[in-house]
Amino acid sequence: MIDTYKGIAPKGDLALLQKMGAAFQGRSFLHINSTKEGGGVAEILHRMIPILRDLGIDARWEVIKGDGAFYDTTKKIHNALQGNEERFTAEMWNHHAEVNRQNAEKLDLDADAVLIHDPQPAPLIEFRKQGVWIWRCHIDVSNPRPDAWNAVKRYSERYDAAVFSVARFARSMGIDEYIIPPSIDPVSDKNRDLSADEIDATAAKYHIPRDRPMLLQVSRFDVFKDPIGVIKAYRMVKKYNDCVLVLAGSPATDDPEGEVVLADVREYAAGDPDIIILLLPPFSDKDINALQRLATVVLQKSLKEGFGLTVSEAMWKEKPVLGGAVGGIPTQIMHGVTGFLVHSPEGAAFRIRQLLNNPEMARRMGERGREYVRNNFLITRQVRDYLSIWYAAEHKGRSVLEL
Amino acid sequence: MNRAFEFKQCVTLLKATGKKAKSLRELREALASVGPRSLFHHTYQYLLKGHVLEYTNDFAHWAGESLEERALAEHLSNIDPYDFPGIEALRAELVRQVDAYLEQFPEPRDAMPGDEFFFNETVTLVFPAGVRARNLAEFLMAIKYVDASCLYYHYHDARQRLGGTDDFSTWFEEALEKTDLAQRVRAIDPFMHSLEGIRERIAGAVEEEVRRDMEAAGVSP
Repeated sequence: MIDTYKGIAPKGDLALLQKMGAAFQGRSFLHINSTKEGGGVAEILHRMIPILRDLGIDARWEVIKGDGAFYDTTKKIHNALQGNEERFTAEMWNHHAEVNRQNAEKLDLDADAVLIHDPQPAPLIEFRKQGVWIWRCHIDVSNPRPDAWNAVKRYSERYDAAVFSVARFARSMGIDEYIIPPSIDPVSDKNRDLSADEIDATAAKYHIPRDRPMLLQVSRFDVFKDPIGVIKAYRMVKKYNDCVLVLAGSPATDDPEGEVVLADVREYAAGDPDIIILLLPPFSDKDINALQRLATVVLQKSLKEGFGLTVSEAMWKEKPVLGGAVGGIPTQIMHGVTGFLVHSPEGAAFRIRQLLNNPEMARRMGERGREYVRNNFLITRQVRDYLSIWYAAEHKGRSVLEL
Repeated sequence: MNRAFEFKQCVTLLKATGKKAKSLRELREALASVGPRSLFHHTYQYLLKGHVLEYTNDFAHWAGESLEERALAEHLSNIDPYDFPGIEALRAELVRQVDAYLEQFPEPRDAMPGDEFFFNETVTLVFPAGVRARNLAEFLMAIKYVDASCLYYHYHDARQRLGGTDDFSTWFEEALEKTDLAQRVRAIDPFMHSLEGIRERIAGAVEEEVRRDMEAAGVSP
């Protein structure tokens, strides 16, 4: 498994992974989250557990189970931690704790290191047996509703360490708090190299014109992804450079707000055959990969964002990326080096024109982007960092550790 | 026999201190009180980012990009952390520069929400790279090949450990008795090049030395 990454991931990361594997040989590393399928956390765990096992670590992944009321509450907790107003009752918090207690009875929590993902299973810390316990918070808690944060903090501050994706997401809790960005898997269907035939097949399937430059944004139809702003930018560009815009997202079947945004986007784009709106079914990773490779410039013009890994996905395919300066996007885009940070449709339009008129600059940015992702946002780096935290937690209080 | 050079590489884990500043005054207060590890990270470790070198430390970067106080960014960028005997002297100079600026321009605007200065620090894990050089020719092969973090560890981090010098030039001088080469390598300005730029310059200096040695020995390169 780890050999798959040879020649792709940095040699130094692979060497350290082998060292860490030797240091933690046969020791147990338990990951717990709340879903086996769907979402970025499950996606990364599916790939990470086999890597850890291949390194000789006894890695396990458990999923907590709850009823409808539990998931209603955890959805509200998630929203409130991101700053949205939600109402909570004592009964809801009690049920959250009770479901975790029931799970603790069924799950084997005995491990040398335990990584708990997100707030849903955070109360499991109460049932800690031994080992290093780390809370991994994937969401932006920089501006949470105080009641929700205080409730979660009761648990999170009892961990040995916490991990956030971006420095500005972290909150002071009096424990070690590490900043570890998420990652992409370079050998997954979404990111692996594709043959010309595979790319052609996607272009043909979605009727993508190949005779003009293509602008692409891959994202849900959500106001915070600013699809209307993307169309505005495209229209400004179109006066100077003939091009095609592809907006690729997923069907909004269970998201009423998404349906409204999609309807607005369709109406705003009406009558322009060069705006292609694609609703990709689940498991379209290979098509997304091909679309990113077909693009001339990739946009992620978000107004609010978690980490925005689509930016790294596009950079890995050597594309210059324009992104909104929000969430984790500035961590990925070095302005003027691997892409541009933009603050308005006008800014996006200007940068797109610059890139379309300077293919050499676009090529250079793309190349630098791929190297930046190679060194910072591949899954091997994330595994390396998790193991490093485990190591650091077992040697607390030292800022330089010799392996 | 010469002592071999053991290349080590490192990984730095970023840690949040929980301190942040949204204005220049808050930055000044935090600069005066934040732990030395955090100051070390935002100055000496700036090069770990592998950025273009418009600034030379995170404080200058923030002053220039987030507060848009270009003159202050220039003043802060001109501070060379290696000019100071220790982190506390560097802290005093950073605070002095900010105070001087605040006296001249008392009310710079606040940073936008989310764009505050977040004080971080690092935990560094060091491990052998599995590469050793017994002579200059082997060193030349190795320096071109080793991970960039080796360059950071032996060229930048070493200055903290050894007090102003680096592991490479120390080895050239002590193990190989190559004083001139040691001086040429020591003279490379650490804040004016990326890690790859440092690699290129060290390799260039060593290559030249190897060529001279071969010529002196009557061997054509």
